[in-house]
Amino acid sequence: MASTEPEHQHREDEEAPAGDDEDTGAQVAPIVKLEEVAVSTGEEDEDAILDLKSKLYRFDKDGNQWKERGAGTVKFLKHKESGKVRLVMRQSKTLKICANHLVLPTMSVQEHAGNEKSCVWHATDFADGELKDELFCIRFASIENCKTFMEMFQEVAESQKSEENKDATAAADALDKLSVEEKKTEEKAVEESPAAAKEEETKTCEDKKEEKSDPST
Amino acid sequence: MALPNQQTVDYPSFKLVIVGDGGTGKTTFVKRHLTGEFEKKYEPTIGVEVHPLDFFTNCGKIRFYCWDTAGQEKFGGLRDGYYIHGQCAIIMFDVTARLTYKNVPTWHRDLCRVCENIPIVLCGNKVDVKNRQVKAKQVTFHRKKNLQYYEISAKSNYNFEKPFLYLARKLAGDPNLHFVETPALAPPEVPIDLAAQAQHEAELAAAASQPLPDDDDDAFEQNTCNPMKMGSFLRNRRVLKPVHPGGFAEIRKKSISAAEVMKKNPRHFITRPDFHG
Repeated sequence: MASTEPEHQHREDEEAPAGDDEDTGAQVAPIVKLEEVAVSTGEEDEDAILDLKSKLYRFDKDGNQWKERGAGTVKFLKHKESGKVRLVMRQSKTLKICANHLVLPTMSVQEHAGNEKSCVWHATDFADGELKDELFCIRFASIENCKTFMEMFQEVAESQKSEENKDATAAADALDKLSVEEKKTEEKAVEESPAAAKEEETKTCEDKKEEKSDPST
Repeated sequence: MALPNQQTVDYPSFKLVIVGDGGTGKTTFVKRHLTGEFEKKYEPTIGVEVHPLDFFTNCGKIRFYCWDTAGQEKFGGLRDGYYIHGQCAIIMFDVTARLTYKNVPTWHRDLCRVCENIPIVLCGNKVDVKNRQVKAKQVTFHRKKNLQYYEISAKSNYNFEKPFLYLARKLAGDPNLHFVETPALAPPEVPIDLAAQAQHEAELAAAASQPLPDDDDDAFEQNTCNPMKMGSFLRNRRVLKPVHPGGFAEIRKKSISAAEVMKKNPRHFITRPDFHG
């Protein structure tokens, strides 16, 4: 879906007069010597599960108005190990970060009144390297793209709920195992195999998990 | 180099002086880079405002200290005093105001009196405006004085990164220098605060009823320039949007007849039957 989205910047390029990039500047002596360095996007351990052209705004509470934050590509990035998903948006050309925050189960994305191509949400954002509460609005080229984004956002938020449950069950599991082992050492006469006991426990945990995630769907 | 207002950083930094007539968009251009916003309101700069602006390149992080100077004479402050130790410069004019281009030589002369042999970019701003007064072909000053010229629009972001990229390449003497992704650091986990969450939701609900600042521009639609697709857009907003050759869409609050459009723009042809006065 992302790749089929036209660039929307072609016109700009077409408008550029011939020889736009021709260097007419004087020869000036460089004042620093810079060596090529290894570069990192910070996204190496993540997979992009959504990637769309868009324009991002943030709400200026003092002025009670939306202000542009950047135009470029918004992505949902899923961590390969932790499964955590974050939203990262970069400004095109300068590749600077306009938004960078986790998608949490407590978050919800909402429609933007009067505009089917945009939607709004709240996040504690880390784009500038410090946590800031922001109200965001994002606008897409088409209603379909906005729908795709909203659906993915909601889906991810939901899935993070079950991720949290998984974490919780894993912790409970570990605790249970501990107590089982303690019991075992204390009462050596226990006959049932620990493997079977564990199996049963995981089953009940999974049942619990299903119950828990049910109401959220 | 120690300068007032300058915290030191452990990566290369450069003093960039931005000059040009009042209202040409120097502050708006800097703000656009700083926060992403496009400020429409004109508030003249008094004296100078210094803003650090960082970029990530394949040769590491660099910083421009942008000295955004007053364009209006009466707010000039120290004037030449701001240029001292400038390592690069941008001279801005407004392509919709001829006088601002006429004054470019004065800005250039004043700048060069203080800063010799620094890389300078001449920027013709507001190229998104349809009725330009200074056409690209009429801009010749940069050739005489060996400056780099870019047509830019702080509004549409057209070429908005080019002046910085050019200056960075010249300062480092590396024509292959380019911008790379700013590393997206892992955002720290935030404990959930239920009371705060309720407040955010209320604020979000209020914000959701506020329109976007550039909603009417419909930049996406303008660029696809599909007149048929604009039909519903036009009807909903009760404005007309003739699409000119080359893809420029013009927003008209009042209706205009096909004949009128063609009189103004002889190269026009009208295909939509509902373009009547």
